[in-house]
Parts: sequence; structure tokens; C-alpha cells
Amino acid sequence: MSTEDRANSASAYSISEHDQPGRLRRQLVFVLRSWTLNLAGAMEFRLSFLLTAGMMLLNNVVWIVFWGLYFGRFQVLNGWELHDVMMLWAISAGGFGLMATFFGNASRIANIIATGQLDVYLAQPKPVLLHVLISRMSVSAIGDVLFALLVFALFGDKSAAGIAKFGLALAIAAVIFIFFTVIVNCLAFWIGNTEGLSFQLFNALVTFTTYPTAIFKSWGKLVLFAVIPAGFISYLPIGLLREIDLPFLIGALAVSVLLAAGGTLLFYRGLKRYASGNMMTLRR
Amino acid sequence: MSSIRVEQLGKAFRMKKKQEGLAGSVKSLLKPLYEDKAAVDGITFSARQGETVAFLGPNGAGKSTTIKMLTGILHPTSGFAEVLGCCPWTERTKLSYRIGSVFGQKSQLWYHLPPIDTFELMSRIYELRRGDYLQRRDELIKRFELEPYMHTPVRKLSLGERMRCEIAASLLHRPQVLFLDEPTIGLDVIVKQRIRQLIRELNEQEGTTVFLTSHDAGDIEQLCERAIVINYGRLVFNDRVEWMKQRYMTHKTIRLVLADDSGGMDVPGATIVERSGARLVLSVDTSLTTIEAALTDVMSSRRILDVTVEDPPMEEIITRMYGDFGEEVRTS
Amino acid sequence: MTVFGKMAKYAFIGKITLRNQLAYMIDFVVRSLFLLLILYIFLQLWQATFHGEGDAARIAGYSFKQIMWYLVITETITLACPSLCTRIEEEVKNGDVGYRLVRPIHYIAFHYVEYMSEAAIRLGVNAALGVAIGLLMIGPPELSAGFLWLPVAAAFGLTVNFMLNMTLALCAFWVEETRGIEFVYNKFLFTIGGMLMPLELFPDALQAVSHWLPLQAVLYIPAKTAVAFDAGRLAGMLAVQALWIVVIGVAVAWIYRRGVKKLNVNGG
Repeated sequence: MSTEDRANSASAYSISEHDQPGRLRRQLVFVLRSWTLNLAGAMEFRLSFLLTAGMMLLNNVVWIVFWGLYFGRFQVLNGWELHDVMMLWAISAGGFGLMATFFGNASRIANIIATGQLDVYLAQPKPVLLHVLISRMSVSAIGDVLFALLVFALFGDKSAAGIAKFGLALAIAAVIFIFFTVIVNCLAFWIGNTEGLSFQLFNALVTFTTYPTAIFKSWGKLVLFAVIPAGFISYLPIGLLREIDLPFLIGALAVSVLLAAGGTLLFYRGLKRYASGNMMTLRR
Repeated sequence: MSSIRVEQLGKAFRMKKKQEGLAGSVKSLLKPLYEDKAAVDGITFSARQGETVAFLGPNGAGKSTTIKMLTGILHPTSGFAEVLGCCPWTERTKLSYRIGSVFGQKSQLWYHLPPIDTFELMSRIYELRRGDYLQRRDELIKRFELEPYMHTPVRKLSLGERMRCEIAASLLHRPQVLFLDEPTIGLDVIVKQRIRQLIRELNEQEGTTVFLTSHDAGDIEQLCERAIVINYGRLVFNDRVEWMKQRYMTHKTIRLVLADDSGGMDVPGATIVERSGARLVLSVDTSLTTIEAALTDVMSSRRILDVTVEDPPMEEIITRMYGDFGEEVRTS
Repeated sequence: MTVFGKMAKYAFIGKITLRNQLAYMIDFVVRSLFLLLILYIFLQLWQATFHGEGDAARIAGYSFKQIMWYLVITETITLACPSLCTRIEEEVKNGDVGYRLVRPIHYIAFHYVEYMSEAAIRLGVNAALGVAIGLLMIGPPELSAGFLWLPVAAAFGLTVNFMLNMTLALCAFWVEETRGIEFVYNKFLFTIGGMLMPLELFPDALQAVSHWLPLQAVLYIPAKTAVAFDAGRLAGMLAVQALWIVVIGVAVAWIYRRGVKKLNVNGG
């Protein structure tokens, strides 16, 4: 066979249907498939899977115990009661858990950029940010999600409206967690390996979201709502669950949308600057 | 029809210049000094559809950078490139459905899962038609002899088994061009041989353009029609492998350990590079004699305890090319 | 080898660890920012709490300043503790433990020296930072002889923590994953160990339990010694720490010996 003939046989037909209608459905199938694969990977180590998830659940329970002790002694904290703090923990742990379970690579993006592991995702025809995010699942975070559901099931308002409000709160928290994390990790595109810094900023968000907004005054409030958007998560138990505070809710939704758009934009901007490394890496 | 076309392609990296010592570290933190380093410095070449091209050069010559620009992973700082009529970095997604890539040092297989699962995911990523995918998968499993490993977690596979799975995975969607970045790195001779053979068969049967980087002269010799050699980001050689073999790969190195002293020995057609006691290193000019003849010659007078035959390293071939053309570039 | 030679060997391990740590200084300072964050949050929390109690002068015997400096000390020590489980688990998993065992250095002693030198340098940085933050945000503490005893109590506390962590870390000989256990242990240390608030604020029953646990020796005793010094109770407190060091130390030695035996029988 001559080179020309060979060339013809190669372009003869493609077995991909990517240019056919039904793109959205295929995208969805891809995302679901990635999640089930992640879970299967985690199940490879069944015992440690259960153990780590259980540990995380226990960890959160210990914090609830701390607050139980606290409120046992002081009853009210600037208008917050134990019930509110429990819901706060449910939303914060739940939002974080959803991020780490379904978009588990979010907090590893800085490392992925710095070590050149983006290559594999870039060589494949799927939206890069989405593909990166869903390619890992933090097993321990499943414990966080379970914790959130458990606390809600035990202490939450289980009316239809209550469930809807809790679902919305979780969604807002998850979106803020995911895209704030993406943004701080994207710094690595510009200033090299920022793993430490990115992690600290991410950690600050997580930490702030687990304390009642009511303890912060002037400057603290400003940081909470303007710099690190933790306030939009940690005020949800009061501003959404207890009673809908419309200006706050609109603000929280706007911030979620803004972070999502900004994070995505920043990531794709950064891609243009991406300089892939040559480190020996294995996909884990 | 040309499937790869590259003109004056260049990529410069901005490097932070680090000064020595603690004071230097602090200084570079406050006021970093930058330096532009050209990894690829204006190279031009093209490849026809169905051709097998070897992209060669020593470590750090700019091979990986070039292949990453051609697959759309990196954006170049200057120049132009076209793969299958697409600009890789602006039409990356569109192009990626039609090309396959294997990066020897970056695995696309899921570490804790068996390859069959990654294959399945790949079929979703490339949105393959179900029936076609299954047929294609079974065909590749058979051809690459992967049946025994398909259900073993990747972390338990050997490097060679893993590499075969990597290549098969990148072929699932029937790419028209296959980019391979150091596919044989770290493998032993027999596994290398097998992988070369598989790639050659693929090219012959499916007409896939194969573009492969390597710093192993053996890869091209057995696999490719044409060789492009770069060094320090510049093109050094671009011609048929045949010609390169005749002209520059004329020598092979034989390392011998003899039973007794090697003093006063002479092998026609070979020069003695190194001699210390019973150890002997010969450089055999294959245009004058064969390896077999040289070895027979040695054996006629000495007893051999150990022998290895090697290709000359890339660095040596390049030095010879420079010797021929000076700084000039030879292209056909 | 003479006793002095032995000492020199361990001193050298300590020195190497210190140097290694210094190399990570910048990363380190960034990490220490967490201290700033958490102290800020607690400042706000306790301000609100004291305010909520009708601007009380003291809660459970602690003034606002005392509680804040108590937290500065517990946080500083907590953040100075290296993760022993991560290290040991890694060594057991990749088989390094085998090589470590054949070296003429006692395995536990080696890790103790490494742990303490790393903790010492981290403690130095954290303390400088903690004091700076404390002075700026809270104001100077009421100085007492307790601050002179703090280094001793802190060293004892870190030793107890090392021993407790070692018992958990050595489980790596039997179970695959010990970091989870460590994680939960830390959480107990934070709550009933008295990192987040002094034991006196607990309900009576829990207080009684906490005083019988080794956890109080790690953070509560050093912090309490410094901010609410009581010369009459000092000897007792240090004795409690020493007692726990001995008791858990014996347990560590026993577990270690069983672990090595298992390693010898089954291989790494």
C-alpha cells in the first residue's frame, strides 16, 4: 500500500459522533462515568474507604460537641443558638463535602499546574476545567456529605420548604467553595508553585465558614463578605434557613454566579500561560 | 497531502534567575530577575499523511516542547503550525478528536483502576459510537495482546505493559495522527522492540501519521522513514532515515571483556577507543565491516567473557552532523 | 561507643532536622499565618462571649486576657506538632522501616529527637508570631512566674503528645491507614484536651473525666501554668505530665516490640 492509499484509509471514517446532535447528553454521560470510576477507584481499598469517611464524620461530630459544651455554658451567642450553629456546620461541611467528592481536584489545581499534569487533560477533547475537577474524588469528603445529611435529618426543618431551602444553601455553599478554590489555585499559572499559599487561602475560607458571622465586628465582617466570601456561606443558617433575608440571598446568589464566571475565566486565561513541566507523574 | 506543517515555530520560556545563598533567595523574592530562554527557536518542517517521522535530539533539545505545541498544550511565542488543517492552539478541541497522544512520562490511565475502565472513559471522552467502540477496543486488545492485563489495576502492571495500554488507549478513537513523546523511555530492549513493531504495524495498516520523539537512536532506525534532528531548539537535520544511517550512524560501539589481556590486538575496520587490561571498547565502522565479522575476528585470537553492542548516543551523532555542516542546517 | 559519643549522634540528627526545617522557612511563615487567622477568630468569639455574659470580669476564674493568652499558647503548641503518623505510615508502607531498624540507632529515640527538634523550631517561629499577635490584639499578659515554667511544661507536654502519637503511629504495623486515627485523636485533643477552652468551662462530669485523661497534659497544663500560675499546684502538674510520659512510654515500648516481632515474622 502506498503512502497515499494509507492516508485515504485513515481518513476514511471516524468512529466519533462528537459532531452529531445530543452533545449535552454525551457530556452528562461523561461526567457520570467519571464519578462512578472515581468511586470504583476508592472502593479498591474498601476498609480504608469506610474508615476515612467515618473519621471525617466523627471529626465534625467532635466540633458539634465543642459547640454543645459552649452553649451548655453560655446559651446564646449574639443571637445564635446551638441549632443555628449545627445548621452552619451542616451547610459548611456539606458544601465542602460536595466540592471534594464530586470536584475533588479543585484544591489540587495549583499542584497540577506546577507539575505539568494538565498535559493529559489538554490533549483530550473535553472542557479542561470540568475534566480536571471531576477527575478525582476525596473519599473522606463523603463523610462530610453524610454528616451534613445526618445533621439535617436529625435537627433540620424537614418540611418541603425546609428541604428546598437546605438544598439551596448546600448548592450555594458548594459553588462558592469550588470556584473560590479554583481562583486561589489558578495563581499558580502566574507565580509558579503556589500550593502553600493557595492552600492557606482555601483553609481560611473553610475555617471562617465554620464560625457564626455574629461574632465578627466591623472589619471582620468586611473581610468575611468582601475578601474571603465565607460570610455568604456562614450567614445562610440565619439569612436563608431561619427566615429568608432577601437582600442577603440575592447577594449570595450573585456572588456564586460571579465566582463561577470569574473562576472559569481566570482558569482559561491562565491556560494560555501554561508552561508544562517535565516531571514524572502518574495519575492517581 | 501534508498532515503536519510547521513554519518558524518558536517558544521561549521566562525563567526566574535565582541568585545564590539566602540573601539571593530573598532578593529574587522581592525583585525577581527574569531571563528568556528559547526552548524552540524557529523551526520549519512538514510531514505527509501516513508518514512516520522521528523527532530526535538530546535531552532538553526542545522535542517535548514542540510536540506539546503541535497537540495544543502549549502556545508558541512565534511562528505557525498546522495539524490536519487545524491550528493546534486555537482549535485544540476540534483537533483533539482526530489526533492521539502518548506522553511517556505522563500517564492517562487511572492508577488505581484496571485499563478496561480507562478505555471505557476514553470512549465517553471521545464520544465514540457504542458498537464501533466495542469492536475497536477488542481489536486493539487482540493486536496489543492486552487480554491478561485488562482487569488488573494499573498500579500492578509493569512499565512495558502499562505503555502498551497507554498506546492502545490513545488509539481507541482512530486518530489520523499519533504523537508519541518518548514512548520507549525506561523500557528494556525486548519491550522496546515489541512497541516499535506495534507502532510500525499500525502505520502500515491504518495509514496513521506517526510523529515520535526520542533520544534513542534505535527507535528511528527500526521505525521511521524520516528523521528530524534538533539541538538547542534549532533544526540540525531533516532527511530520510536511510540517508542518516548511511551518513552518520556508521559506527557501533562494542564493549568487550576478554579472558586475558587485550594488548597488541588489532581488528580491521574497527578503531580501539579504550583499552584497559582485559577491557576493550571498539568503534566499528559498519560501512567497512559487519559487527559479526569484527567479533569473529576478536574471537579468533581471544576468549570473550562479556560483550555488549550499542548504538552511538544521540550527542555523538549530532556532533558528527555539526562537523559536516558547521552551523548550517541540512533540509531536503 | 561512649555515652558522649551516643549523645553526639543524636545531637547530629537534631541538627540535620533543624537545617532541613530552616530551608522551608518561607513556606513556614505562610503556614504560620493560620495562627493569625485562628487567634483572630477566637478573639472575636470570646469578646462576644464576655459581652454576652454582661461584660463579666471573669468566666470560670479566667479574665478575658487570661483566656486569650491561654489560647495563644495552646494554638502555638498545637501548630508546632509535626505529623508523626504520616511519617511512620510512610516508612512502614515503603519498607524504609526495615532499613531504619538495622541501623545502630534506637527507632523510637531517633523519632523522638527528630520530632522534638522539628517541634522546637516550629515552636520558636510560632511563639514569636503568637506573642506579636497577642501583644497587638490583646495586650500584654499578666506576667507571673508561670511563664518561666512554660518551656518546661511545654517540653513535657510535647513529649506526652509524642508518646500518644507514637502509640497511634505504630498501629501502622497492623492497619494500613493511621492518619485517620491521628485526625480523630487531634480532634479530641482540641476539645476535651482543652485547646479550644480551658477545662474549667466544661460541665462538672466532663471536667472530672478530663482530669483523668493524658490529653490534659499536652496543652492544658502548659497553658494553665503560664496564664493562671499557682505555685502550690506546679509540682503536682509537672508530676502528672511526668507520670503520663512514663506510663505511655512503657506502652509505646511494648507495642513497638510486638510490631517488630510481627515485621520479622511476616516481612515488610
